[in-house]
Amino acid sequence: MSAALLLLPAVLILAAGFLYPVALLGRISLNRTSDIGAMEPDLTLATFEKVVGDDFTWELAWNTATLAAGSALAATALALPVVLLIRAAPPRWRGLLSLMAIAPLLVSGTARIVGWLAILGDQGLINAMLEGLGLTSEPVRLINNWTGVRIGLTESLMPYACLVLIAGLGRLDPRLEEAAATLGATRTKTFLRVTLPLAAPALLAAFLLTFVLGVSAFITPRLMGGGRVFVVATEIFDLALETVDWPAAAALAMLLLGALAVALVLRTALMRSARA
Amino acid sequence: MRRSAFLAAFTAFGIAASAPAFAQGGQPGGQMTLQAYAGIFRDNYTEVVVNPFTARSGTQVQYFDGGTSAQMLGRLRAQRADPQTDVVIMDVTTAAVACAEGLVERIDASVLPVIGELGPMAREAGGACGPAVTYDHLVMVYDTRAVQPAPTRWAAMWDPAQRGRVAVSAPPNIQGLALTAILAKAAGGDWRNINAAMPMLRELAPNVQTFTPNPDGYTLILNDQVRFATGWNARAQLYHDQSQGRIGVVLPEEGTAFQINTINVVANAKNRAQALAFVAHALSAEAQKAFTERMFYGPTNPNAQVSPAALNRTALAPQFRERIVGVDWEEMVRLRDQWNQRWRREVIAASSR
Repeated sequence: MSAALLLLPAVLILAAGFLYPVALLGRISLNRTSDIGAMEPDLTLATFEKVVGDDFTWELAWNTATLAAGSALAATALALPVVLLIRAAPPRWRGLLSLMAIAPLLVSGTARIVGWLAILGDQGLINAMLEGLGLTSEPVRLINNWTGVRIGLTESLMPYACLVLIAGLGRLDPRLEEAAATLGATRTKTFLRVTLPLAAPALLAAFLLTFVLGVSAFITPRLMGGGRVFVVATEIFDLALETVDWPAAAALAMLLLGALAVALVLRTALMRSARA
Repeated sequence: MRRSAFLAAFTAFGIAASAPAFAQGGQPGGQMTLQAYAGIFRDNYTEVVVNPFTARSGTQVQYFDGGTSAQMLGRLRAQRADPQTDVVIMDVTTAAVACAEGLVERIDASVLPVIGELGPMAREAGGACGPAVTYDHLVMVYDTRAVQPAPTRWAAMWDPAQRGRVAVSAPPNIQGLALTAILAKAAGGDWRNINAAMPMLRELAPNVQTFTPNPDGYTLILNDQVRFATGWNARAQLYHDQSQGRIGVVLPEEGTAFQINTINVVANAKNRAQALAFVAHALSAEAQKAFTERMFYGPTNPNAQVSPAALNRTALAPQFRERIVGVDWEEMVRLRDQWNQRWRREVIAASSR
């Protein structure tokens, strides 16, 4: 009884802040849109049929999945050496280094993207350096395209990957690596044969978490894609705030939510099997 | 000190004294809430339209920053059962949705006689609901420091020397829809004929740096990111003045299209009498003249005696009227999805960077 009471505030907050809006979204997705864009109350799956039957939706799904997978993989791969460095550092420095690794989370996503625009833009820092060194005569297109979005999303996902890896690798027993070294293994061999296999569950967890975050990413594709990068989140934005087709936006959002729920279930199953 | 106190008291007395006089004409004091665009629109509209209304009527107007028209529509939908605003100014395509959903009142000259003063296009724009309150139009903006001589045609954006230096808002943004209609009219004689516009848009694509200028094309020009962009005249004219002429504004020879804002009384508004009085004021020749001279939106009330200098910076100037492409925005909404898909597959896809 007391446990249920303790849970009650959290359940109420979850119900008001998540379940109710999602239920409302589900209800809107069952409405109809007239040819001038007016929303007509209904209880129909016609909008879902239209959305699922549109080839462009599947193109969006593919774009979203590949962007999220690529960025999650890159973020995890880049976070690994950072976390290994933190792990190898003297204990008194580890807290500060960990804080630095996740510090980007303290800055708003939009502000970070403005920073990237200044660095990657056609008149940005990198292009100015390349031209100054005489390596290029025309700007290298690093932004307003898929390249820019991949760079920006990887950077924005890295702190999350670091968080997971710091927690996961922190539990590894360093004596196992010391034992390998004592038995004559080189550093590379120790890393490949001991550290990496032991870190596999943490790497998988980092990848899956960043993948799920990448699937729902909106700000980076919107601000760094230059209108050339179409993913599910940008399409929902356009449907809701440009064409004002709320039923279609809600249907697409419900489908994305369903896909994320499936991904989370798979993640949990994979993590369990990895631990086993 | 005494002098300023006296002046403040005198002004307050003047406002208080004039309010009952306004009320005798059937328009009460009290308060109301206006939902409209934020930023420079708010600043200027408040100064030359809202404040004079308050001074005359005694009605306190709370200006609520509505964001985009779509956001305002969302708010009207969410507050359908308990409206928190009384008057809304929004784009004509979004207002048509609000009208069809019963979120705003149906209104005509029998309710508001001033509607009878408006031009036919202004009356028709709102359908059965509120009429047009401002006309804006699509313009080409450019960096006067980098582009010389001053361009006169949209074709200037097609110059291969401008590769990567152009910002165009693609559909579903209405700037992209308007540009397509203008090019279609110029190439094929009918704004609906997207097939006539597509080859030109495909040719333009490699020059385009971004199809979603953030925060807008004017800022990208001022930050040296691009040299050309599409824009709306009123804001472009203000940026031109604020940038000491750095932003150049062109109403191109191939044509332009209107962006129309309508003004509506929210259905079941809590302060309906004040709302009607405000709409009447906003559509009056006096308020229309003041706002055109301040921000260069075209007036919808032909009785507005706008100064020639201000009128020449709108599309209603005699020399520009023939360039206006008569886009029917209600019909455009029906074409929008198809145009959007064609842009994505044929224009944006041809512009890989």
